[in-house]
Amino acid sequence: MRDCRLVSRKFDIKNSFKIDIAKEHGAYKTLDKAYALKPLEIVEIIKESNLRGKGGGGASAGDKWALMPQESDKPSFLAVNCDESEPGTFKDRQIISKDPHLLIEGILITCHAIKAKHAYIYIRGEYKQYQDILQTAIDEAYSDGLLRECDITIHRGAGAYICGEKSALLESMEGKRGHPRLKPKQKEPEWFFDNPTLVNNVETIASVPFIVQNGAQAYRDFGTEQSPGTLLFAMSGHVQNPGVYEAEFGTSMMEYINHFGDGVKNGKKLKAVIPGGVSCGVLTADECENLTLDYEALRSIGSSLGTGGMILMDEDTDMVEALKNILEFYHEESCGQCTPCREGTGWSDKIVAKILAKKGTKEDIDKLFDLADVMNGKTICVFAPSVSVVIVSFITKFRDEFEAIL
Amino acid sequence: MSEMIEIIVDGESYTAEEGSRLIDLLIQEKIKVPYFCYHESLGADGNCRMCMVGIKGQKRPQIACDTFITKDMFVDTKNDTIQKVQTDILELELINHPVDCPVCDQAGECSLQDFYMDYGLHNSKITISEKVKHNKALDLGSNVMLDQERCVLCARCTRFTDKITHTHELGIIGRGDDAKVSTMPGRKLDNAYAMNVVDLCPVGALTSKDFRFSQRVWFLKTAESICHGCSKGCNIYIDHNKLKYKDDVIYRFRPRRNDDVNGFFMCDDGRLSYKELQVNRQENILYKNEELTEDEAIKEFKNKIDKYANNTTIIVDANLYTEEIEAILEFAIEIDAQLISPLKIYEDEDFKDDMLKSSQRAANYQTIKRLNIANSTSTKSDLIINFNHPSEINANEKISFLTHKSDSLELIFPIAAFSESSGTLVSEDGITGKCQKAIDKNNPAPTIIEWLKKVRA
Repeated sequence: MRDCRLVSRKFDIKNSFKIDIAKEHGAYKTLDKAYALKPLEIVEIIKESNLRGKGGGGASAGDKWALMPQESDKPSFLAVNCDESEPGTFKDRQIISKDPHLLIEGILITCHAIKAKHAYIYIRGEYKQYQDILQTAIDEAYSDGLLRECDITIHRGAGAYICGEKSALLESMEGKRGHPRLKPKQKEPEWFFDNPTLVNNVETIASVPFIVQNGAQAYRDFGTEQSPGTLLFAMSGHVQNPGVYEAEFGTSMMEYINHFGDGVKNGKKLKAVIPGGVSCGVLTADECENLTLDYEALRSIGSSLGTGGMILMDEDTDMVEALKNILEFYHEESCGQCTPCREGTGWSDKIVAKILAKKGTKEDIDKLFDLADVMNGKTICVFAPSVSVVIVSFITKFRDEFEAIL
Repeated sequence: MSEMIEIIVDGESYTAEEGSRLIDLLIQEKIKVPYFCYHESLGADGNCRMCMVGIKGQKRPQIACDTFITKDMFVDTKNDTIQKVQTDILELELINHPVDCPVCDQAGECSLQDFYMDYGLHNSKITISEKVKHNKALDLGSNVMLDQERCVLCARCTRFTDKITHTHELGIIGRGDDAKVSTMPGRKLDNAYAMNVVDLCPVGALTSKDFRFSQRVWFLKTAESICHGCSKGCNIYIDHNKLKYKDDVIYRFRPRRNDDVNGFFMCDDGRLSYKELQVNRQENILYKNEELTEDEAIKEFKNKIDKYANNTTIIVDANLYTEEIEAILEFAIEIDAQLISPLKIYEDEDFKDDMLKSSQRAANYQTIKRLNIANSTSTKSDLIINFNHPSEINANEKISFLTHKSDSLELIFPIAAFSESSGTLVSEDGITGKCQKAIDKNNPAPTIIEWLKKVRA
C-alpha cells in the first residue's frame, strides 16, 4: 500500500500542534501561493480536483464553493463542521488535536476563495480537550499575525447528534434549537443569520492546502476517477489495532483492515462491517471480501461510504443486540421535529427491545420493515432514511438471528 | 403578483398563482389534505409530514406546504401510495398519544380525531403498549393549560410566540419522542394574545383554563359576531348553549378569520369580555328602585318627554349597532332633543398596542362620527335620556336604557346586549361588519329599537 498521507502527514510528529513545530514541517507554506491567486481561481482548482465533502455525504466541495457569491452586500461566512457525532467516526478530532494548523491554513485559503472574513468552527461539546488544543493553535495563529484577513471563532455545540447536519448546525450557531431546515428548491448556499455561508467538514477544509499547493492533478493522482484523493478512514470495534489511518479511495477494504488494523481482534472470524459510521447499511463479511473503499463501490451494494469510520463485528456478535444498540442511539438523538423520525425511532427501538426480550412475533419484524418504509424519504433531513437503511440491512442480512429468538 | 397558471389536481384543473404554496390552493379549493403544522398565519414548518401529495415527476411524495406551484404541475392527493403514507404517519402520531378523547376538551374539534376518521380507520399494528409519559396538566399562564402527552409537536404555539407576538415564551425541549412543548426556564406564557395558542393547537394539548370542562363542543351553537372590546372590530364566533331548564349562556368567544381586520387572532381581553355580558345585568324596569310594569314605565317616560319638551338631551353609547344609533337619531329629531355621544370616556391609551388593540374602546364610534353626533360632555337640558352610555352626566331628571345595573335611582329600562340582537358595526378602519343574534334569553330584554317602537305607540 502506497503512502498517501496528505492530511495526516504531521500526525506522527511530536508536538505538531504547536505552531513552531508545525511551521518547521511546512505549515502555512501554501498561504503565499493561495493569496497570489484570485478567489475564483482557487474555487476552480477545488472543482477540478473533484474534492468530495468528507463529512459523510461526499458531495462535490467545489460545486458548493461555487454557490457562494463573489459579489454581495452581505458578508459571507465559513462554518467548519467539527460536530463529528456519527458513532464510529473520530477522524476530525485527530486533525484538530494533532495538526490544528493544517485546519487553520485550510480555513484561511477557503475564506480567501469565498471572500469570507469570518470562519466559525462548530465543535461538539464533548470535544472540550480537543477544543482547547484548537483554541491554543488559533491564539498562536493570531499572535503570529496570520489571522489579519479573517477571524476564526470556535462555537461549542451542546451535544446533539443532529447538529452535524449542516442546516441544524447553523440553527444551533444562531442560538436556536438544532433542527434541520426545509431544503431550498434551487441550488443556493446555506444561510447563517441570512448571510451566505459555506459549511464544510474539518477534513475537507484540511485537504485544501495540499490541493492548492500541489494542484488538482496531484490530488487526483490518488484515489479513483470518481472518488479522487484520500480519506482518513478509521476502524473500531472488533479490530486488533483500532485507529485512524489515511488511505486513498479505492483501497480494498480487507487489505486496509489487515494492513492497518492487523485483522479481526483475537484472530476471530469477521461477521459484519458497518462501513462508515452507524448510519450506513451493515455489510456481511462476504460482501466485504472484494469491496473497495470508495463512494461508488459502497453505493452499488446498497450501503454508503459515509465518513469512512468502519465498525467491525466478529463472529460472536449478536446482531439483534447490535441493532438495538444503534436504535437506542437514534431514539435518543432524533431531533423530534418530523413525525416519522420522532415516533419511528422510538417505536422501532421498542420493537427490537421486545424481540430481544424474546417476546417478539413475526408481525414485529414485518412492522419494522413497515416503519423503515415510513421513515424513508418522508422527512426534512436524512436522519430517518439512515435509520431506515440500518434496520432494513440488519434484518435482511441477519434475519435468521432475529427469527431465532422470536 | 406572479402569473396565474393552470395546474391539475386529481384530474381537475385549477388556476393558481405561480410560486404560491400548493397547500394554500388545496385549502382554498377544499381539497382534503391532512395537516397539523401548517397554518396560513405561521407559514410552513414541514414537521408533521401529513400533507404528503404525489407530484408528477417526483419519485417520492412531497409535502404540499413546502411545494410551490409551477407550470405543468400534476398533483395527486388520493392515490394508494399517498393514502398509505397518510395512514402510516397518522399511526405514528398516535403511538404516544394518550387517546383520552372522552376526557379531552378538544374532542369534537380535534384534527387528530378528524384525520383518524378520514385516514386512520384500519387495524392498528401497534404491538407495544408502553407510551412515553409527560406532564398532563401544566399551567403555562394566561389561562392556557398544556397536556404534553396529547401534543403532536406541530410547533404552531411556539411559532406563534416567536413570529406573531415576538415574546418567545414557548419552546420545545427534549429530543425524539421525549420532545415536548414547555415555557422557557423561569418564564410564564404572558402576553396579551396568549390564548390564541389554544385555537392554533390542532389537538387537545393546549386548552383554555377558562373554557375547559365547561361544555362539550358539539353541544355549542355558534353565531358570527364582532368583539366590542375596542374599535378594532375583531371578528368573532360566539359559542353558546342553552341547557334544559337553564338560560342561554355564552361559553367562549373565538376569533373568526377576517384578513382585512384581525386575521386569525384576537386579544385575550376581548376573548374574555363575554363574561361581562352575563353578570350584573339590568333585568327589570325600575323607577326610584321600585319595579314598574312596562305600561307604567312607558307612561312615565311619555310624561317626562312632554314635561321637558325642548329641554331634553339624549346620550348615545358609541358601542351600539348602527341601526340602533340611527333609530335614536331619528327619535331625537322627532322629539327635538339634543343628541350627544361623549367619546373621551372610551379612550384608553394603556390598552393600545401595535397589533389588534385600539385605544378607542368604542366599537362603533365611526358611526357616531359619520352621523355628526356631537362629542359634547355637558348639557344644559333638565332631562337626560341615556342609551347605555357609561358617562355620568347629571341633570334634573334622567331616563336610562341600560344593559347593566347602575346606582341610578331614575327610570331605568333594561335593554338587550349586543349578543342578544343583530346589527352592524363600523370598525375604526371603516370596515363594516355584521353581528348575528347569538343569545336567546328566557326573559329577553327588548332591544333599543323595540323600546323606541313601544314608547312611540
